[in-house]
Amino acid sequence: MIADFRERYERAVNDPDLQPRLLAFQRSWRESRDAQVSRLEQRTERSFDDLRHDFAAVKDGTLERIDDYIAEFRANAEAAGAIVVELTTADEAVEYIAGVCAARGIDLVVKSKSMVSEEIELNHELAQGGITAIETDLGEWLLQLAEQRPSHLVMPAIHQKRQYVAEILGQELGRDFDPDDIPAMVASARQGLRRHYLAAGAGLTGANALVAETGSIMVVTNEGNMRLATSLPDVHFVTAGIEKLIPTWSDAERQLQLLPRSATAQTLSTYTTCITGAQPGKEMHIILLDNGRRSMRDDDTIASALRCIRCGACANVCPSYQVVGGHTFGHIYTGAIGLVNTTFHHGIEDAAGPQGLCVSCGACETVCPVAIPLPNQILSIRRRATESGHVPHWERWLLRAWATPTLFRTAIKLGAVASSIARATNLLRRDHFRLPLPTRLRWRSIPAIPSRSGSQLIRSRQPQPAVAASPATGSEIDLFTQCLAEHLLPSAVDSAARLIEAGGATVHLPPEQHCCGLPAFDAGDWDAARRMARATIDALGRSDRRIVTPATSCVISMKEHWPQLFRDDPQSRRRANDVAERVYDLADWLDGPGRLPDGCLNTSDQHAWAAHRFCQSSNRDDPGARIDLLVERLTGETPLPLKEAEVCCGFGGLTSIAAPEVGKGILDRKLDCVAASGCETLITNNPGCALHLRAGAAAQGASHETLHYADFLAARLPWSS
Amino acid sequence: MITASDRGTQFAEALHGAQGEIAWFDSWDDIWDFAASLSDDTPVVSPAAHQFLQRGDLPDADDPLRSIADRPVGVTVAALGIAETGSLLLIERAPIDRAVSLLTRHLVIAVGQDDLLDELADGFRWLAQQPRAAAYATFVTGPSRTADIERSLTIGVQGPSRLTAAVLT
Repeated sequence: MIADFRERYERAVNDPDLQPRLLAFQRSWRESRDAQVSRLEQRTERSFDDLRHDFAAVKDGTLERIDDYIAEFRANAEAAGAIVVELTTADEAVEYIAGVCAARGIDLVVKSKSMVSEEIELNHELAQGGITAIETDLGEWLLQLAEQRPSHLVMPAIHQKRQYVAEILGQELGRDFDPDDIPAMVASARQGLRRHYLAAGAGLTGANALVAETGSIMVVTNEGNMRLATSLPDVHFVTAGIEKLIPTWSDAERQLQLLPRSATAQTLSTYTTCITGAQPGKEMHIILLDNGRRSMRDDDTIASALRCIRCGACANVCPSYQVVGGHTFGHIYTGAIGLVNTTFHHGIEDAAGPQGLCVSCGACETVCPVAIPLPNQILSIRRRATESGHVPHWERWLLRAWATPTLFRTAIKLGAVASSIARATNLLRRDHFRLPLPTRLRWRSIPAIPSRSGSQLIRSRQPQPAVAASPATGSEIDLFTQCLAEHLLPSAVDSAARLIEAGGATVHLPPEQHCCGLPAFDAGDWDAARRMARATIDALGRSDRRIVTPATSCVISMKEHWPQLFRDDPQSRRRANDVAERVYDLADWLDGPGRLPDGCLNTSDQHAWAAHRFCQSSNRDDPGARIDLLVERLTGETPLPLKEAEVCCGFGGLTSIAAPEVGKGILDRKLDCVAASGCETLITNNPGCALHLRAGAAAQGASHETLHYADFLAARLPWSS
Repeated sequence: MITASDRGTQFAEALHGAQGEIAWFDSWDDIWDFAASLSDDTPVVSPAAHQFLQRGDLPDADDPLRSIADRPVGVTVAALGIAETGSLLLIERAPIDRAVSLLTRHLVIAVGQDDLLDELADGFRWLAQQPRAAAYATFVTGPSRTADIERSLTIGVQGPSRLTAAVLT
C-alpha cells in the first residue's frame, strides 16, 4: 500500500536530510550531463534538440503502427525460441508469471531492475502466492530490505542516507557496517545476493528496448546483476511495456546516444546486453504489457509521453522534486513523467495528489531526451483531476473569486485599507506586514497593497517625453497591466508605460481589464480560466492597437493557453488569436517594435545587479527571457553572474500557497544563489516572481532589493524623479 | 580518415573514462604472461579464449558459473571494440561462454587491433548482420559499478572490479 499523498508530503518535508541530498544530486548530475551532451553534440555535429527530435520521430512512428511492430517482434522472438504474451492488465501479468512459476515449481525469482514490475506491484502479488522475489540491483535490494519503493526511475534509493543503508544491511547480513565505508557495503551485496542467484528458479528483467527486426531485447545496466539473473536460473521473464518497441538495431543505437547520457551521465552504461530468444535448454517469456498504454496513445495530448525511455532526467531538473523527492512527487513512476502516466497505469486518484506540486517551470521538457511536452501534459492531467473533483475546495473558491472582477476588487480594496492602517500604525516592514504567521508560512511576508494602482499612477502623471526615436515613434499602444502587477506591483506597470513612451509611443489603458486566466488554467480549472480569458479578450478586443505588458507569464498564457481553452469554440478562438497576435512582452517590445537604442539609459553608474530570468520563458528559450542582455544593452551596466539563473524561484502560481514548503525550499535555493552573486539589486521579469522573491527576501532579512526590470530601467530615464 | 592508431588512442581514452585499463600485446603468449602475472592463481579462460591460448582453467561444463566464481583473473575474447565508447562486444551464447566475464575479479578481454571500429553505430550494424551473435551479446564498457548509495561511484559489484582490454597488435 502506498500512503496517502498528504502523509507522504508531510513525511518528505519533515525529513531534514532529503533536500540537501537531492540538491547536491541535481547539481552534480546537471554538470556531468551537460558535459556529456555537449561532447555528443560535438562528435555528431548535431544539436541535442535535433538528435532528440529524430529519435522521438522513431518512437512516434513505431507507436502509430504499434500492432504491426508487435507482430513483427513476436514472429522473430518466437522463431528464436521465446514465448511472447501480450497482456492487457497488471493482474493478468502477475497471474501469468505466478502461473508459470507454479507449473515449474519455482518459489524464488531473482529480479533485475524493472519499472514495469513495480508498476504491477509484482513482488507483493507474488508473495501472496508464496513466491519470493528478490531484487538484485543494489538500490532496489536496499529498498526491498527497508520495505520501501523507488523514489527515482534510475537511482531508486537516492533518498536513503548511508547511515540508514548501514543499518538495514547490518540487519540483513548480521554484521556491523561502517556508514562511511560505502565500498564495503557495496561488496556485501555481491556475497549477500549470491545464494539467491544460485537458488532461484527464474530471473526477471525489464527491457530498455524491444527490437522488432530480430525479436530481441536490449537491457542497459551497470552492476552485472542482470547478466547473472539471466544466466543462472532456467527461466527468464521479461516484463516490458509495449512502448518499448523500436523497429531496428540502428534505432537501438540512437536510443543509446540519448539514454545513458541523460540517465546517469555516462557515455554508455557498463553493460548493454542484447538477448534474442531462449538460450539453449532454457525458457524465455516476454510479457508485453498494455496497462493503459493504448489509452495513452489514443489521447492526442498525452500520446507522446509513450516516447519515455525512463532516464529520470525530468526529475533531475525539477525544483519541486528536489524539495520533496520521488515518494511524494509521483506515485510509482516518479518525476514529471509520473505526474502524467500514473493516470493511465494506476488511475486519476493516484495521480491527483502531486499535481499541485508542479510549478510549471518547464525545466523537464528542456532535458527530456525524447522531447516530451511534459509541462503541457501535466496541465492537461491537472484539468482532468480538477474536473473529477480531486482539487481542494479552497482552491476552487479562490479561483472563482479571482475570476469575478467585483469580488477581486473588493478584496483588493479591503487589503488596501488594511495596508494603510498598518502603514499608519508602523506595522509594516519593507512594505510587508509584520504579522505573526504560522511557522510553515513564516518564510514569506504578506505584501502591503500600495495606495495607488498601476493605472492610477499612470493617469496621475504627464506622459513621459521620448528619450530617442524608436520604430514605434508616433504609434498608439494598449497596456495590459495584469491583475497582480496592477495592484501589488503598480510601479512596474507605470515603469512599463514610461519605457513605451520613452520610445515615442502613446500609451492607452483599455478599461475593464483584469486577468488573462492563467492562475485558473494552471490550477486545472478551465471553466474559470475561460471566463477570465473571455473578459480579457473583450477588454483588449475593443481596439486594434498593439498591446504591451510587463507580465511575461500572461503573454505565454494568451499565446499558448488560449488556443487550448477555446479549441472547441472557433469563434472565441478567432477573437482570442486576434488579441494574442497583437500582444508583446515588454522586453520583446523594447528589443523589437519599440526598440530603444543601445545605451540610451546609460547613467555612467555601475550598479551591482543580477537577473533572475523568468523560468518558464527562459526554458522555452523565448528571446524576451534574456532581460539581463536587454538591461545591459540599454544601460551599459554589466550584470553579476547568477548561478542557476534559469531555475524557478518557487512562486509557481498556487503551488507556493498549496504547498508552502515547496515554495520555501525552491526560494531558499534561489536566495542562496542570489546572496552568492553579491548583488544589491535582483531584477526579474514576471510580476508574480518579483513579488515572491521580494516577500521571501523581506521575511528572511536578505540585504538585496528585488525589482521588476521595468522599474530598474525606468529609474534610469532622464526625467525620472 | 581515421587511422588504426587514432582509433586505438580514442578507444583507450574512452575506456579510461569508464575506469577500464588497456595494454597492447604482440601475441597471445604475451597476453597469457600478462594475465598469469596478475595473481598467483591460474587464470580462468573462456572457451573462446582457450582456442587461442590453449591453456588456463576452463569453467566446468556442468556448473560453469559456480566453478569459477570469484577467481582472481579471467581471460576472454571480444568480437570487436568500439573506439567511441571504449566498449568491447562479447558474444556469449551459453552460460559457459559468459561465466568468466560474469564472475571473475579482474577480467582481461582480448581484442584484435583490426577489430576496433569507430562508433557504437558500427557495432550495432555488425550485430544486425549476425543474428546468431545477438542471441546473447553484451557491449561491456569498463568494470561493473554502482552509485546507488548516496550516488557515490563504487567500482565492482556483481561483475568484475577490474577490466583490462588486451589489444592484440
